[in-house]
Amino acid sequence: MHWLFLAVAVVFEVAVALSASRAQGFTRPGWTVATLLSGGIATYFLSLALLTFDVGVGYAVWTSAAGVGIVVLGSVLFGQSWNVRKLLGIAVVIVGVAGLQLSGAA
Amino acid sequence: MPANDHPDTASPHATGPATTDSAEADSAAATATPDRRGRAWLVLLLAGAFEVGYALAVGGSEGFTVASWSAVAVVFFLLTLFALSVALRTIDVGVGYAVWAGTGAVGAAALGPVFFDETLTLAKACWLAVIITGLVWLKLADRPSEPDTASRP
Repeated sequence: MHWLFLAVAVVFEVAVALSASRAQGFTRPGWTVATLLSGGIATYFLSLALLTFDVGVGYAVWTSAAGVGIVVLGSVLFGQSWNVRKLLGIAVVIVGVAGLQLSGAA
Repeated sequence: MPANDHPDTASPHATGPATTDSAEADSAAATATPDRRGRAWLVLLLAGAFEVGYALAVGGSEGFTVASWSAVAVVFFLLTLFALSVALRTIDVGVGYAVWAGTGAVGAAALGPVFFDETLTLAKACWLAVIITGLVWLKLADRPSEPDTASRP
């Protein structure tokens, strides 16, 4: 069950970033509401998942999966370009965040 | 997936299934001046700072049982998402999210020992250095077609 909670938290974290992008600085009410709702739902399901998961591991999986999902969907849905340099930078940051969270757990 | 794995193709935006929505946002991003992009990065770092405030407030709220810190957490939650949304008008969502999450993690790890009973171990400091390297790298890599447009008469 905890993997399901974590998966739901990842899906809504991806939704946070995508709808925040569409909300255009909160000038679009619908996307603004979607951003805030997704943020609340993601946080709630993450906290449920972290009741079972080790906190560091749970966060690490959550951030990295969301980061990958956002890059892929940003490209597929918004047609945003990506190149090797950008992907490398994103990968280094995400690996760093995951490593930080794992080392906090250890 | 409309994979655009060739760095710096002539028209990267032509590959996506553009809706009216994204076409509008794309053209805004494509025509972003260095000034506008610089401001967007400042707002993105601000969003990361608000995210740190949110994380610390949630820590202080002790599971949302302390009313004052819970209220502060809600305010920071709204501020960080607002600033993120403003920054993502200009910056690509994949880059923006990584920078937002990265700055938030660095700030929370650096300030945790100040406010709470946390320690900054050598391992954590090394990972912070990795994140910061990636953030600087992304800042330098995030200039789509700007040299071209700038040098064009």
